[in-house]
Amino acid sequence: MSTVQQAADDQDMAERIRQYIETQLQNASDLRLEALERIAVGWSHETWLFDAHWTENGIPKTQGLCLRRDPGNALLRHFSDLGEQFRVLQCLESTPLPTPKPYWYESDPSILGTPFLVMEKVAGTCPSPWGSAGRRFYAEAAERGKLPESFTSALATLHTIDWQAVGLSFLGVPEPGKDFARREVQKWCELVKLSQQEPHPILIDLIGWLKANAPVTKRLTLVHGAYRTGNLLIDNDQISAVLDWELQVVGDPMYDVAYVLTDLNREGSELLSHLVEREAFFRDYEKATGIEIDEAVCQYYGMLYQLRSVAFWMSAAGLYAAGRSDDIRLARTAWSVPVVLDGAARALGY
Amino acid sequence: MSDYIQLAPDELLERIARTLKKDIGPAVEAAYPKTQAFMAAVVLQKLAGQLRLADEHAATSQDDLKELAEELDQLTGSQDTPPSLQAAVKTLRQALDTTSVSHLIETLYATRSELGEERFESLMGRVRVRLRARVDREMVYAA
Repeated sequence: MSTVQQAADDQDMAERIRQYIETQLQNASDLRLEALERIAVGWSHETWLFDAHWTENGIPKTQGLCLRRDPGNALLRHFSDLGEQFRVLQCLESTPLPTPKPYWYESDPSILGTPFLVMEKVAGTCPSPWGSAGRRFYAEAAERGKLPESFTSALATLHTIDWQAVGLSFLGVPEPGKDFARREVQKWCELVKLSQQEPHPILIDLIGWLKANAPVTKRLTLVHGAYRTGNLLIDNDQISAVLDWELQVVGDPMYDVAYVLTDLNREGSELLSHLVEREAFFRDYEKATGIEIDEAVCQYYGMLYQLRSVAFWMSAAGLYAAGRSDDIRLARTAWSVPVVLDGAARALGY
Repeated sequence: MSDYIQLAPDELLERIARTLKKDIGPAVEAAYPKTQAFMAAVVLQKLAGQLRLADEHAATSQDDLKELAEELDQLTGSQDTPPSLQAAVKTLRQALDTTSVSHLIETLYATRSELGEERFESLMGRVRVRLRARVDREMVYAA
């Protein structure tokens, strides 16, 4: 798509968003949207940020908003649609976990072409840990010390939420025992299948190993599923919002802990998630949650993340191969598969 | 490949990748197309590497699978071997492809308790040696 065409489409989208917001703010007049931008984050949903200005009973009002739209070919869309994300944010609103306030969800495609949700635009930035600028940001924040504490504290808060009381049981509650781990393995195997790419035999070996070694879940908590820098909004060296509610489940908190511990999220850094010292993370997390980190279980989930990575890359490459996306980043992921499998084979002892 | 350009396909891709990276990418101002230009360069470079080694790797892979099938054939010929595993080895010997290796691994896991840990590890060890060799070859162009 040309830049000119994109600009025209964006302008049309802006007007459609404005018309929709107008229908939601029934006592509002003179509604206008300012500072509207479509931000390039993640590979899943389209994200638009803007400030809504209007007058209500003669009083001028302003609200920063964030709109997420399902483009119809998003990665991981099989696991979590925007309706579910909206419901999760509603459940979390009454908890101490910093999350954006959800405003509206629309499944009707006649409004913006596809389903979308509108939530609060929370103050803060979300530097990507994959680029040099982001890594520098986290390295400097690690030196100051406040953000690493906030990172661990927010995860501890997430894991101590009374998920039943706030209504998150709709996510599905695993049976006692090995059900949670087995469900996750099954879920990611399904994504491999959906990619319509032939799996590498090392992946088959990894899946066999994961099925044979599933750990018993000792306790159930809300699990974010992708808790790392890059999925957290940061303001003044504090986590101002936990974002990317796409993979959340009720399950083993060690699943999140393992994601923090995994090498996959700290390439080139000694610090967990490019931010936190391992020893400090263990100490602060265990103290805040009363949950002892089980390293053996985390190692298992670390292996499961290898499956997740491969499934994710295969799905991305599959979207490109099927012509459902023209984003060349997705095609490039085909060559990430052997890299992850090389690591998986080493972890399996060969 | 056109007959009218005296350049090997992998070299052509490498050249286009260099142009994308050095000339086209830096000249693009908008963030998204700029990223796409650089990413296209990366894809073409990896593709060029894969293409350069394709024939050699395909031949080595076939030899590897043939040797693996022969080894496993000898090790699973006895009557105490689960029939499903013998069938998976036979399929591998005939097909010599990725699908049959994957099926063999699935069958090994499925018959693990019948085989016993020691025999399972021994047979899986044979397979894993070949898988390691395969991923090592893939890493030459993927990493």
